[in-house]
Amino acid sequence: MISFALDEEQTILQTTVRKFAAEHVRPNLRAWERARAVPDEARRRFHDLGLALLDVPEAAGGAGAGLIASTVVHEELGFGDAGAAVALWAPHLVPAALLSLGDAAQAAHHLARFVEDPLALGAVAWSEPAGAPLEGFATVAEKRGGGWALSGKKAFVVNGDRASVIVVFAQVEPGRGWEGAGAFVVDGKAPGVTAGARHETLGLETVAASSLALDGVFVREEDRLAAPFVDGARRFFARASLMTAARQVGLARAAYEYALGYTQERRAFGKPVAHFQSIAFTLAETLMDVESARWLLWRAAAVPDGKLDLSHVAQAAVHANEAAFRAADNAVQLLGGAGYVQDYPVEKWLRDTKTLALSAPTDQLSQLAVTGLALGQPIDAGLPSSALQPIYT
Amino acid sequence: MVDLQPTPKQQQVRELIHQFAAHAVRPISLQADRDHKIPDEFLLRLAAMRGAMSSGEVPAEYGGEGGGLGASKDARGRSQQNRFTLLSAEEMAWGDGSVLLSLPGPGLGGPPIQFMGTPEQKKRFFSIFQDQEKLHYGAYGLTEPGAGSDVSAIATTCRKDGKTWVLNGRKCFITNGAKADWVVIFATVDRVLGRAGQRAFVVEKGTPGFSVGKIEEKMGLRASETAELVLDDVRLPEENLLGGEAHYAGKEGFMGAMKTFDSSRPVVGALAVGIARAAWEATRDFVRENYVLARPIPRYAQLATLLADGARMIDAARLLCWRAGWMADEGIPNAKEASMAKAYAAKMAMKVCADAVQVLGAHGLERSAFVEKWYRDIKVFDIFEGTAQIQRIVISKRILKDPPSF
Repeated sequence: MISFALDEEQTILQTTVRKFAAEHVRPNLRAWERARAVPDEARRRFHDLGLALLDVPEAAGGAGAGLIASTVVHEELGFGDAGAAVALWAPHLVPAALLSLGDAAQAAHHLARFVEDPLALGAVAWSEPAGAPLEGFATVAEKRGGGWALSGKKAFVVNGDRASVIVVFAQVEPGRGWEGAGAFVVDGKAPGVTAGARHETLGLETVAASSLALDGVFVREEDRLAAPFVDGARRFFARASLMTAARQVGLARAAYEYALGYTQERRAFGKPVAHFQSIAFTLAETLMDVESARWLLWRAAAVPDGKLDLSHVAQAAVHANEAAFRAADNAVQLLGGAGYVQDYPVEKWLRDTKTLALSAPTDQLSQLAVTGLALGQPIDAGLPSSALQPIYT
Repeated sequence: MVDLQPTPKQQQVRELIHQFAAHAVRPISLQADRDHKIPDEFLLRLAAMRGAMSSGEVPAEYGGEGGGLGASKDARGRSQQNRFTLLSAEEMAWGDGSVLLSLPGPGLGGPPIQFMGTPEQKKRFFSIFQDQEKLHYGAYGLTEPGAGSDVSAIATTCRKDGKTWVLNGRKCFITNGAKADWVVIFATVDRVLGRAGQRAFVVEKGTPGFSVGKIEEKMGLRASETAELVLDDVRLPEENLLGGEAHYAGKEGFMGAMKTFDSSRPVVGALAVGIARAAWEATRDFVRENYVLARPIPRYAQLATLLADGARMIDAARLLCWRAGWMADEGIPNAKEASMAKAYAAKMAMKVCADAVQVLGAHGLERSAFVEKWYRDIKVFDIFEGTAQIQRIVISKRILKDPPSF
């Protein structure tokens, strides 16, 4: 039955995280951005909320709260500040990777660390520098006594220079494309793992991203994730997309509410600027973007059996990216000069939203996915990205 | 619990209506557009189907169907009527927008009678729809030549002469106005009083002085009747004043007019979604049949983006409509959400229909391809039931703390 009502547990989570975001995140947004990190103390405080494995099923050692709950939490953190939302979420995409590509025992084994250690960070390394093959990875995994040896270069790895658990996507059978790929859990301190210099980025500066070099890194057989790669990778990118979309909805709402408040305080020509139709109508349009993005996201996440509809996920992702970009851009515009200076948060969100949008499958890939699924066949876009569709959709 | 799927039973009824829309409505759609009329025998068939698909504007206690087959109550005994109406409206509009607007019944005249009418008035005006041998309509007369968006500016007057009300004025763009058995007419006792001076009456067909002016010829929705109504010293008994005198302490007349929109605007949004979906499906099929095998590669990414944007925005609009309908069913004030649903859906549908004509190229201009009709039909969704601009005013007034009058 069509209902937009959160249940009691979800409402409590929403209230708790909203309060945390208001008290501990928003006031520190500039300090943390300048420090290019969230302090350990904040990590510990956030860890105390016990959300680290929120949407991980109980069988895998998590709280089993489901995707709607996780969507609500990420929206509230994103509302506090998108950079902090990513940085505070210590396991990053490791739970998504383990749940999508591993079995319950593997997930339970590797995720336990995030419950025990508030400072443990996770990373998932899939992107590679230019020159990677159209299908599959240039990073290879070769069989070596009782396990695998990983060698190659990864790019844009969030937490790549500081993660204790890194899931690496690599080619197991060269020449077999995505079908021949696999995923491996690597200890961040394992011999042969070398992080490159941290990237300086457009936004999300509280989040560290770097390249990662692997030189014959040994992985035990039991740490190769068990599920077939193509289906697993699809599920992984779908979960990553939902998480990013939820943060974008939070960012969009933050920008909208900030502009709504500011334009009612700021006066020009004898009245609050929000009392001019051009301003008020922009706010009205922005609210339509924010709410429609949230409902598309909820529709994608409201799957009781956890079986995601990839077209719904892709739609939610694109809509949230667009809504957040427009909301942040409108906020900067409506604040005018105040929007452009760092005394106000909105310029940060305009930088953050673009960075977030590139941290999950791009809108271009998602669009191809929606149409490909509607037509019942992949789209030949004449672009290398068409080769990526098998795993992104 | 968050659940954005209809119940299995609603899904069944939705499918039933879809089959009817596909196999009965679509085949008459183009001819009805040409004739500016839907055949009476078809409309009688529709009247008989009301039980399945009606928006439930005739409450069950007055002999109506009370909300259609799919509008059963939820576990807490709350009606799902608004949500179900949105589902059925979308499917019917997918078949043809004019047909749905021509569905026999009280139409937009239903909500004001439900919100404002006395039990006697509800019985009197709703009971006529029990007769399924003949076509019966209600209508809603608010707009005037000099008062469209600015509803508070209506100039049709009402004055008391003993125990009789006397109405004078003109109403225009009234859907089903000429064929209606009765029309809810909004009039003012004194324009100086603004909204507080407004009264709502039910004027029955055949009342002396009440006549039909011209029937409009329109860009789209041609099969739906749009009439001008003339009130020339129309004398009405007190029983025709909706809600009775006591109802009008304050702004009740105007609020009655506005409250109608809280439930009707999401439905208008759902109609736009239905038409947009029809146009999008035509575009998808055209692309699949004409482009994919020929592989003109540079076109693909553009078409893929266009189709994906369309699919996404159609779904976004539908969810905004459902949200507003859910709030109405839950008894949560939803004026802002109703306006957002209608404004977003209309704008989205304009784009999707224009894109359909564009992708089909010259074929898109051909009448037999349907999309040129939907392109004409959809424009009015940005205009009726509150223009795009009025929706933005409604939303703005509800998000600002201390809103101006705009």
